[in-house]
Amino acid sequence: MAPALRALNGFGLGARPGERRRVSDPRAWLRAQLHGGPPLLRAPVEATPDAIDEAIGVFRAAGQGTDQQRREARQQARRRLVGIAAAESRAALTERITTARPFIERLVAFWSNHLCVSIGAKILVAPLAGSYEREAIRPHVLGRFADMVLASAKHPAMLVYLDNLQSIGPNSRGARAGGRGRQPTPSPGSGGPRRGLNENYARELLEWHTLGVNGGYTQQDVQELARMLTGWTVGGLARPGRRAQAPRGRRQPGAAGRNDGEFGFAFEERLHEPGTKTVLGVKYAESGVAEGERAIRDLCRQPSTARFVATKLVAHFTGDAPPAPAVDRIAKVFQASDGDLHAVSAALIDLPEAWIDSARKFRTPQDWLVAMLRAFNATEVSDTVTAVLRQLRHPLWSPSSPKGFSDATTDWADPDSLLNRAELARTVARRLRVARVNARDLIDVIDVAAGDPLHTFLADGSIPVDERLALVVAGPAFQWR
Amino acid sequence: MNRRSFVRQMCWGGLATFALPGISFAQVKGNGRFVFVLLRGGFDGLAAVVPYGDGSYQSLRGGFAFEESELFPLNDLFGLAPGLSPMRELWQAHELVTLHSMAIPYRTRSHFDGQAILETGIDRPIGSSDGWLNRLLQVMAGRRSGIAIAAGMPRSLTGSFEVQTWSPTQLGAVDDAYLQRLGTLYRSDKALYGRFEAAVQQQDLIGEEPMARGGARRGGITPLMQAAAKILRQDDGPNIAAVEFSGWDTHANQGLAGGALDRLLGQLAEGLMAFRTDMGPAWANTTVVVMTEFGRTARPNGTRGTDHGTAGAGFIIGPRVARSAAFADWPGLADRSLFEGRDLTPTLDVRAALKAAIAGTFDLSRPQLDRVFPNAPEIRGLYDLMG
Repeated sequence: MAPALRALNGFGLGARPGERRRVSDPRAWLRAQLHGGPPLLRAPVEATPDAIDEAIGVFRAAGQGTDQQRREARQQARRRLVGIAAAESRAALTERITTARPFIERLVAFWSNHLCVSIGAKILVAPLAGSYEREAIRPHVLGRFADMVLASAKHPAMLVYLDNLQSIGPNSRGARAGGRGRQPTPSPGSGGPRRGLNENYARELLEWHTLGVNGGYTQQDVQELARMLTGWTVGGLARPGRRAQAPRGRRQPGAAGRNDGEFGFAFEERLHEPGTKTVLGVKYAESGVAEGERAIRDLCRQPSTARFVATKLVAHFTGDAPPAPAVDRIAKVFQASDGDLHAVSAALIDLPEAWIDSARKFRTPQDWLVAMLRAFNATEVSDTVTAVLRQLRHPLWSPSSPKGFSDATTDWADPDSLLNRAELARTVARRLRVARVNARDLIDVIDVAAGDPLHTFLADGSIPVDERLALVVAGPAFQWR
Repeated sequence: MNRRSFVRQMCWGGLATFALPGISFAQVKGNGRFVFVLLRGGFDGLAAVVPYGDGSYQSLRGGFAFEESELFPLNDLFGLAPGLSPMRELWQAHELVTLHSMAIPYRTRSHFDGQAILETGIDRPIGSSDGWLNRLLQVMAGRRSGIAIAAGMPRSLTGSFEVQTWSPTQLGAVDDAYLQRLGTLYRSDKALYGRFEAAVQQQDLIGEEPMARGGARRGGITPLMQAAAKILRQDDGPNIAAVEFSGWDTHANQGLAGGALDRLLGQLAEGLMAFRTDMGPAWANTTVVVMTEFGRTARPNGTRGTDHGTAGAGFIIGPRVARSAAFADWPGLADRSLFEGRDLTPTLDVRAALKAAIAGTFDLSRPQLDRVFPNAPEIRGLYDLMG
């Protein structure tokens, strides 16, 4: 692939017509995007902290109950939560199609998927997924990996998604006093939700966020880590009725994680498992919320973490089979810089393996859709984009497991998907104002040989214009970045 | 004693010293085909395989109780709901096993978690990145291929073994000229050409006809099952499929005979019968299993529906079944017998039923079955249900 296109499509989110000739020095174009600070995004008006807090409060107040009125109130509250997710999705996708820093936006999506939450798993994640990406991921994409993981660990979206907000130390004061009444009663015999320790988050933190499944931790480590993270919960959920009297605006919790009933991270000492814990052979003395913070920073420093993260990153930017020397190089930069993602991102740009002819990745549905809209010079996304991504099996912030979405060819290039893209390309081309882009200019965004039949099709006036546009984005060259 | 049961007894009778000369178990069976039909939403087993013979049934279900005369009796305890009456033919042909008080091995009333457990085939919602159907394909080591007939890739088929998908087009028809031109473009891409061609061929094979003939809207049960049959009856096509339908989460206005749920059950029954017809001679080696993530509450709720429950019903269908049977270790519907005072109590693990169904279709060894369903229970009675 031509270097300019590798930069625009492989590192970026897709070339716009005419952009290719403006990128005379691809690496410099990418490096320039590293400047400008963290890629922050303002919350859409439907998703300010107040709006989210209120919608969640209303949902929880709607409560259980089987009569028609209560049921309808709950349905309406759910729709509001989903509406917030939709507004956030549109804002995030609009940013992807209009951004002047597409390399950085790609990194935002990468890290958001690496430390994923899932809207599909729990309704309460829906209003929080967008703010999760904005508040826990974006500020740290060019900062420190450990800071990102800590922010992720403390964000209500993650605490809800992987159940840590309900995790109670078996020997904590809260457990001995009977714990939170809301817990479902355990069923006799087989496994099920139990009042007490919940290992979900600790396990996924080790398996998918830091060390990786073969990173050298044991089940004992999972349990110990889970104990350290007891008490890490969400404040402001227990008594939704109080919200009306609470002061407006979200306060950041203090260092001790104290939270005066505002919605957000709260450390509840009462639920915290007392005592010394040992994770990966390191003893942590009892120290409240600081234990978990220390442990997370230590996990991020492990060589296994550097290797696990480097492997995923290199694969994302060079190809499904990441070359070992490239992984070594990135792991080294990660380790030596103590997880400085600015340095790591710069090192990715410098990987020779990312610029060789065979370097390419199959476009995931989100990649493909965003690239198509950029190629068509779109400036906004429509309401239907959520449904379209669901049809393409790649709904935003909704992977089916904490592993997140794959970016490998085998997971996306099935026959049915290619046909779906063909149909969708046609539909979008028909709906967009065709005058916005010239079919002959459009071929600029992909790499096709001189004799490729696409040139002939694009020059053939007997083929409808929308079909010619669709052929560009539905054809094989556009499926790769 | 026929060859199949002889082989099975060898496997599990501990006669380790005896070795079959050069025949691997998966090949002993003919050209087996397997379809996993997942009804998403928790379908109401008590309104499908109706325990009319249980003394507490009428009082518990109140306004939702069927009259015995409305049902097709399977035995003294169970009868098929009116909507399922097309399946009488299956019962009479000894091609139907109903399963009851069956549940996933984890207590949850969350659709997401329940479906995750049913589809990954383990005992908790998080912990497996592949689905059990994909593991089945892995142990069959290339002798079988899989296809998902759905708008998404069901979790049950997700995994390292590559599978195909087919879904009815929802985005508008593509005309032939456009497809042909795309085909021309794809010819230059070695990696993708084969896949694109496969998609076009599959589309041709199924065609627009089933959608039109079914009369149902796109994605209706019968057209999808007919499309599945067209794909599966091929000699060299995929032979393990996952299909899914939603609409079973009947919290409100569930209805009785002819009501909303009963009509949906009717569509399911018609779809299954249409599938059987369209499979033709290939039906002889085909097994269809129908399951859901959980059942529903024994008592109706305040909006003339039912809420998420625990144990429910399922089906194993096909000529691989030894004889028709209504299988259940029935816990009863008396108050004290209900789970948490509200649901049918589970007495059967879904994995045990699935293990039996696939064992009976593909004649797998115990290690192979254990790989598909690690640490899952086995119930001899179930294996005897399969021929």
